[in-house]
Parts: sequence; C-alpha cells; structure tokens
Amino acid sequence: MRKFSVVLKYELKEYFTNKVFMGLTLFLALLGAAALFLPRFVDLSGLTGVQVTEEADQGETSPSEEEKEVFLYVDKAGVVRPEILQQFFPHVSWQEAADETSVKTKVEAEEAGAGFVVTGPTEYEYYIFNKSMDDRNTAAFDQAMQCFYRMDYADTTGWNLEEIDAVYNMPITVTEQVLNKDSGSNYWYCYILVIIVFMLIVYYGQMIAVSVTNEKSNRAIEVLVTSTSPNSLLFGKVIAGAIGGVFQMGILLGATLLSYQINREQWGGVLDIFLHIPTEVILAFAFFGLGGYLFYAFLYGAMGALVSKTEDVSKSASGLMIVIMIVYFFSLVQLSNVDGSVMKVLSFLPVSSYSTMFARIGMGTVALWEIIVSFLILVASIFGAGILGAKLYRMGTLRYGNPIKLSTALKDLKKSE
Amino acid sequence: MKLEVKGIRKSFGDKEVLHGVSFQVEGGKALGLLGRNGAGKTTTIRILMDVFHADSGEILLDGAKFVPSRHQIGYLPEERGLYPKRTVIDQMVYLANLRGLKPREAKESAKKWLARLEIAEYETKKLETLSKGNQQKVQLAATLVSNPGIVILDEPFSGLDPVNSQILKDVVNELIGEGRLVIFSSHQMSYVEEFCDNIAIINQGEVVLAGDLKEIKKEYGKNRLVLAAENYTMEQLAGKVEKEWPELVEISGRNKEFLILELKPGVDRKGLLAKLAGADMEVERFGRYEPSLNDIFVRKVGEEE
Repeated sequence: MRKFSVVLKYELKEYFTNKVFMGLTLFLALLGAAALFLPRFVDLSGLTGVQVTEEADQGETSPSEEEKEVFLYVDKAGVVRPEILQQFFPHVSWQEAADETSVKTKVEAEEAGAGFVVTGPTEYEYYIFNKSMDDRNTAAFDQAMQCFYRMDYADTTGWNLEEIDAVYNMPITVTEQVLNKDSGSNYWYCYILVIIVFMLIVYYGQMIAVSVTNEKSNRAIEVLVTSTSPNSLLFGKVIAGAIGGVFQMGILLGATLLSYQINREQWGGVLDIFLHIPTEVILAFAFFGLGGYLFYAFLYGAMGALVSKTEDVSKSASGLMIVIMIVYFFSLVQLSNVDGSVMKVLSFLPVSSYSTMFARIGMGTVALWEIIVSFLILVASIFGAGILGAKLYRMGTLRYGNPIKLSTALKDLKKSE
Repeated sequence: MKLEVKGIRKSFGDKEVLHGVSFQVEGGKALGLLGRNGAGKTTTIRILMDVFHADSGEILLDGAKFVPSRHQIGYLPEERGLYPKRTVIDQMVYLANLRGLKPREAKESAKKWLARLEIAEYETKKLETLSKGNQQKVQLAATLVSNPGIVILDEPFSGLDPVNSQILKDVVNELIGEGRLVIFSSHQMSYVEEFCDNIAIINQGEVVLAGDLKEIKKEYGKNRLVLAAENYTMEQLAGKVEKEWPELVEISGRNKEFLILELKPGVDRKGLLAKLAGADMEVERFGRYEPSLNDIFVRKVGEEE
C-alpha cells in the first residue's frame, strides 16, 4: 500500500507539474466561464432574448433618427401605410422615392440600405446591394403587406379588425405538471454527458497506455519492476490518471456550470437544456462515469504493456476502442428510447453502464435496485479488470520487440497459472 | 552473508531457458556472472530479483529462503533506462522511496551518491539533457541510492570513458570492501578479473564453470607453458617445436608474443628445459602459463558448443 501511494504521488506530480496540462485546464475553464459571462457585457439579445441590463435601464435601445438606416419605398399600388411600416421596422428611417430608378440608384450608391417597390396589393420588388446571410427584411415587409391588405379589407367591408384579431389570437394558459422525467428538456444534457464520458475514457485511457509503453520504451520499467510490484505500478498509474481526469473535468464542468448559474438570468435560461443539470444526474454521472473510466483505464494500461513503442499503442488498444465506439453509438441512438429493452440491458453491462445508466436516471424510469445492482456489477468488474490488467502488465512489461497479441498474452497467462 | 542459487530451472512457453543454474556468492566478495548474449544471465538475475518466478530450484540467503522484498537490492540493468523528462533528483528520490526510504532519507542519500559520483551539479537537470556517460552515472547512483546490501551490476562499464570508469572502479571496490554482496555481469573480462574472486560461466542455460577464479586459472594453466625466442619468429618456433619435440609437448595456442605449449603425460618442465638448453635458441620467455579469464571463457564456452 505504501509503495502504491509512492507511485500515485509521483504520477500525480507528473500531471500537476505539467505546464501544458495545467495551462490547458485553466485556459479552457476561463474560456468557458468568460463565454458564459458575455451577456453581462455584450448584447446577445438575439440569442438570449434578454437585453443587456445597463442599456435597458438607460432606455437607449432605439437608435436616434440620425443613426437610423434609410430604406426607400415606391407605392405604385397605393396600399402602403407608413406608420404601420415604421412599427415593423423600428430601427429604419423610411423615405418615399419618386420611382423605381431612383430606388435602384440610391441603393447602388449605398445611400439607402434597401428599397421596396410595391407593384400591387400582394406584390412588391426588393432592392438590396449586398444581401447578408441573415437578411430578414423581406420577411418583415411580407408581414407589413399582409397587414395593409387586412386593414384595407376591413375598411372596405366595415369589419372591426381589433375584435377579429382578439378572437383569432386568444391567449391560452397552460400549467405543466411533469410528475417524473421531462425527456424533452433532459435530452441535451444527457447527450452532452455521454459525449464527455466517452472523451474522458478515450483521452485518458490512451494517456495511461502511452505512459506504460513509454516506461517500456525508455527501459525505466527494468528498474521499476525490481523496486516495487507491478500491481502498485499499474494501480498507481491508473488512479493518478483518474484523479488527473476528474480534476481537469471537474474544473471545466465546475467553471461552466457555476458561471451559467451566476448568469442564468442574463441568458434567459436558453442554455438550461445543456447546463441546468439536476443533482441526481450529476451524481450518477460522477459515480458511473468514474467507474467506467477506471474499468477501461486498467485495460488500457494492460494494452500499453503489450507493446514496446508508443506508435503501436493505438493498434494494441484498437479492440478496446471498437467496444467503446459501439457503446457510444448505441447510447446516442437509444437516448430517445431510454426505457427500451436495449438501454435496460446496456445499463447493466460494465462495458456500457457508465453512459447508459445515468442516461436512464436522467430521462427514464429506473428503480433504485437497478441502480445499485448495476453499480455493484461495475465495481466488481473494475476489480476484475484491475487484476487482469495487472497480470497482463506483469507479463508484458519485460517482453520487448514485436507487439504481443492479446490472445497470445491471455494464452500465456493461462499457461503460467 | 552468503547467497546460494541452487538448481534454478525456468521455461518460457515450451522452451526451457535455464536448466538447473547453481552458484554462490559471499558478502565482501564479488561474483562474476559470465555468459554469451542469450545465455540466461538476465533471466537468472530477474529470478533473483523476483521479477520472474523459477519453475524449480531455490535461492537461499544464509541458509534461509531468500525473499527479495525483505532486503535492499540495488540492480543496474543492462537495458539502462530512467525517465528522460524528469529531473535527476526527482527520480532518484522516487526510486529510493519505492525501496522503502523515507522522503528525507531518500533525498539525503540521493545527494550523497550524486556527489560521490561527481555529478551533483546535475541534480536539478532533466536526465535527457545529460551526456551518455553522466546518464550512466545517474543510473548507477539510482542503483545505490537505497544503500543496498546486495548489488547486481549488469555491464556497469559500458558507455563510460576512462575517467568515469576509474570513478566506477573505486565505487565498486568500496562496495566490496564494505562487505556488500556484489554480482557483476560483464563481457569485459578485464573488469571481472579485477573485481571478482569467484566466477560462474553460464552457457545455454546452464553453469558450465564456477568457482574460485584463482583456482580456475591454476587448473587451466596446469601442465601448460609459454615459450618465446629472440632468434625465431612465432612461425619458425612453432615449426621447430612440432618437428623436434613432438614426444614432449604439443602446441595448444599462440599469440603475437609467445607459444602456449601443453606437456605430454609423464613429461615435466625440467625435461623440456634440458632440450631447450641444447638447442640453438636464445630463449626470451619460458615459464608457467597463466590463462586470462578471456582465454578460459572462450575455451570453455567453445568446448561446450
């Protein structure tokens, strides 16, 4: 146990004194936090629907007459009502042009931002110099034209337009009472968490495998295995990797979730579907995610011991990668059917429970006994993977040269026992 | 302290690589463990270090079963390697901690050995920034950092220049002088002759020769003489010996300086000396042949093959 803690301490030092690791962690955390603080300083009302508080207080949301962009119109059909037009385009200064040519000339000279030539009650031509990706002028003008049409019709027939509008657009009040899970709102953060845990396993798993292979390729393993047991070496490495991963992910997720919590009002809650995660889902993610990570990390460590060059690591770990990819694919595809039998089965298998069980907890109906049984299976499998990993590690560490196939390694292991 | 290796056998898969290896070594004396590449030396050492388990046989220390984890053992592997991107002191303290030293003791011991090997100024440098010779010295310091009672050195002199070799020689002599049990594996026979009182030659997984080096040399020199003459070339001298005294001696070897003659049964040195006195020969060298370890090794391993 003492030697394990010496290895753990040394490996942890490797992570926490690594400038790239620490720098990247802090940089990404700051970047995430800064992005979530943006609505306090920048007007993202187009995205959030909320104006920057300071500006709203000062009542400076509308530009002055001089600042307004000039739009031109020609009314050949005699239907345009300028006061209505102004309501649909509050930031625009409307001017009536003499004719079509005048509109075209001024728009080309960029003296006007856009021009509209109304040729009939339901027809118009639109003039613009450079049309942007998000040009919504025609959509607004369409609505204005429909409004002109309705008003003209009401005037002709003597209808009360306000009364009709009130009948057609009667507001309905709904009070939703979700008694268990709201899959619609829980879907996206479960989706994000499945991706995060997948990335965590693949990224840190590879790092552990490479670290083991490095010790073989630089022959440090020769001294290490004669100084302590292979179990201490592998367990120390894997647990250090887990702590490093939890630290990095904890900082990133913590900074993101906390920053969002602080600025939730400014965001108008638009990111709730990603970042407003219930505590029980966070806990399930922490326990099952960490469990799945440890399970694969031991196996990655063993795969690293079967090769002597770091460039062979990905080849050696390709079997594991395929299993992880299949689990990832099924988890995402079945996310919209978390109470289906596929997800139920996957949530009990140690190779997949790390992502499927917390998805079920987040979005479906799951009994407490199912969570406990699944977690116990995962814990037992971690120990199994740890023991198998340590045996493969012990056998593989001092065998240099060509990569050892997993099937050969398992056969040799069986023989030696 | 006496370490006895008795009848160690080891197989990898279906292939037996050690066929009952036995030797012994005492504290204050060094054992030269010799053998060609692939003879089984490293496997034997790894079994000693409990990295591999022997299929059969036993290892005893002072008559009791040897449990490596209960003793401080310093092992300098032939395949050198530490962490290139970590500082020298960091990894030395790490290894000392792994071998049971407390952090403070580990640091003190690391500094002591770095100073002893004249590389103290590199303690905060990353290993990869050091020259090959200094990396080799760091490796040796890492071997000795836990002040081991048993020291196993596998090719310790490879990669060292003459000055560093001298420092290492002094350290090895100190270790032996302090009564530590030293196992010394090398292809450089001159170093083995310099340090080792006993040798064990392993060939194809078995010990083909073991014992006191002086006795072995004496045995291999028995009934063998060296002869050189000022007025004969080696070729002429060999021709004369073969032609004139075939009933007395036969030539068992030669080099640039002398012939090695083996006395035939029943012939003694006086008989040959009398013949030489009567010949027209200005004898430059005549005496007992003392074989070098290299000669013994080549002859013994050659015989076996």
